[in-house]
Amino acid sequence: MHGQPQQPGPPPPPGWGPAFLPPQQVRGTPPPPPPRPRPRPEDDVTTGVFRAHWLIIPFQVLAVTLVFAALVGPILTQFGFAWVLVLAVAVVFGSLAYALPAWWYGSFGLREDHLVVHSGLIRRSSREIPLSRLQAVDVVQPLLMQVFGLAELRIELAGGDGSAIRLRCLRRKLAEKLRAAVLAHAAGLSGRSPEAPEWPFYRLPFLLLLGALTFRVPVLLSFVLLLLLLTAFAVFLEPGALGGAVPLVLGLLRYYWGPLARYTDFYASLSSDGLRLRYGMFQRRMQTVPPGRVQAVRVVEPLLWRALGVARVEATVAGYAGARQGDSADLLPVAPRGRAFTLVNEVFPDSDAAVVPLVVNRRLLANAAGVDERLFVSVRGLFCRVTEIVPVERMQTLRLSSGPFAQLRGRATIDVDTPPGPVAARAWDREAGEARRFLDALVERARRARVPSAGTERWATRSTMHGESAPRRDGEEGPESPTIGAPKDTPGT
Amino acid sequence: MDTAFAAPEGTPWLRIPKALAWYRRLVTGAACLAVGAGGALLLFLWDLPLLAGVWAGSVLAAAVVLWFLAGGFQRSWGYAEAPAELYLTYGVLVRQLVVVPYGRMQVVDVTADLLEQALGIATVRVRTAASTADTRVVGLPLADAVQLRDRLAARSESFSTGL
Repeated sequence: MHGQPQQPGPPPPPGWGPAFLPPQQVRGTPPPPPPRPRPRPEDDVTTGVFRAHWLIIPFQVLAVTLVFAALVGPILTQFGFAWVLVLAVAVVFGSLAYALPAWWYGSFGLREDHLVVHSGLIRRSSREIPLSRLQAVDVVQPLLMQVFGLAELRIELAGGDGSAIRLRCLRRKLAEKLRAAVLAHAAGLSGRSPEAPEWPFYRLPFLLLLGALTFRVPVLLSFVLLLLLLTAFAVFLEPGALGGAVPLVLGLLRYYWGPLARYTDFYASLSSDGLRLRYGMFQRRMQTVPPGRVQAVRVVEPLLWRALGVARVEATVAGYAGARQGDSADLLPVAPRGRAFTLVNEVFPDSDAAVVPLVVNRRLLANAAGVDERLFVSVRGLFCRVTEIVPVERMQTLRLSSGPFAQLRGRATIDVDTPPGPVAARAWDREAGEARRFLDALVERARRARVPSAGTERWATRSTMHGESAPRRDGEEGPESPTIGAPKDTPGT
Repeated sequence: MDTAFAAPEGTPWLRIPKALAWYRRLVTGAACLAVGAGGALLLFLWDLPLLAGVWAGSVLAAAVVLWFLAGGFQRSWGYAEAPAELYLTYGVLVRQLVVVPYGRMQVVDVTADLLEQALGIATVRVRTAASTADTRVVGLPLADAVQLRDRLAARSESFSTGL
């Protein structure tokens, strides 16, 4: 595990199930120390002051000049080409005069377990971030940065849209070292501890990704429509048909090409630092979600995917607010159903979503919800089946609501609120008395699950998180497994 | 239905004083006055006196309905401080029961706008990491609101379990 390389054979953290022990040779040998041919200052990232790679300056100057040329250039050509040239040179030097000191003063460094980031030239700002509060760490490499061997480090905090720390244009080695150090600090260890070892969980074959993305009703329909429109254009030479094709092409770009390019070469692995995801062709990303940061999970199985037996896993992580939520919500873009539920069990240790007793709602088609000691699970959707899973200790507020018609019929809906994200777990349209009993059971279990010492900060140096929960798991397997209502149905097959 | 929205065992609903109803009446009344008078004046200036009358009459009818609904809305409000959670209930058309565990409260604050200050009431707003639920206690007398905030803040500290 993190920080104890002298121990022979680091044991996997207690949360990870026995099925995912790393291969023996990986487990038996401690991670080899990184080869250090010649020590460089950035080998030790815990001290010292760092700044972005100097290449950021030409990038910024180039970007500003291009924007200037594109926006103002066409107007200026009326006055003659010389003017364009002179003003462009002025813009180059002006932006250089800003970018150079901004680069020099935009420094950052680790101070104990805080990250200090200085930025800004006109409005100087200096942020000090307690790393024990971080929610996720990503290393992102857009295509241009891949060419130059640079990367961006993003540290997500649970403070909404503006609270993410983005350190742009770092040398890739430095970004990865910083990532390891930041995670080590967040885990409560020294920043010099080596990166936690990982063991593979799932590698997505490209053909499966391609096939699964194609094999969806909306995508297939769009393709058919597009073909029809194109043949209509070819046969009747009617340009209006092309106009109809534009929204289709845009939709396909967004929902077919987008995920295809983003999740090419997808690889997920587990470590004591949490789940690590690497993916992307044009934009390489390496995403780390530390343990306990996933607030809720949903498993989505579109109609045709159920025939293939594959599913998608999306998660609510408190750090990914706003627009980034859509990019980073997927834990597994396409995976066999069994793998998907295994991942859910890995993300929420000591629990099993498949054994939660579900109460089927007889009035609604394909609608069920249930709760056990650890998880709230709701399943809905006749065609596209969505299984939403919220650990009871992560529920924020609980709501029982009943609209005017539901009141006449004596029914109510229970909402389980989680931080903003893809998951919206609810038990739809239950009989009012049953709904209230359900709500009381949720409240009771949430109260028991919220051990005050079970926060998720500094996960490596505390034992409460897993230690507290271990005995509870044994009790749950006993014969007196609590059920609400009668019929039992399990989401797993 | 009422049993489903009953208070938790051992703690009855604490109700909100009548001032909340008056607050709602004044707010909806002012809105109705602005919409009704403005619309009627415009229609009158456009030389449609009949429509202006119909407009004013319908807005007046809406105002009367809202006037009487305000009492029901005020009576529907209630809150209860259970040992580990705050319970809220409100709503006439859409009845709601909200359970907020003390440990999940991130921020508790008291706000009072000008009209609330004039009526001597205040709103206690509880924020959690989830933004979907409306977790407020409205229309409390200012002193009670401040006390409630202090109690909730103290409990959110002692029950805190992180995010």
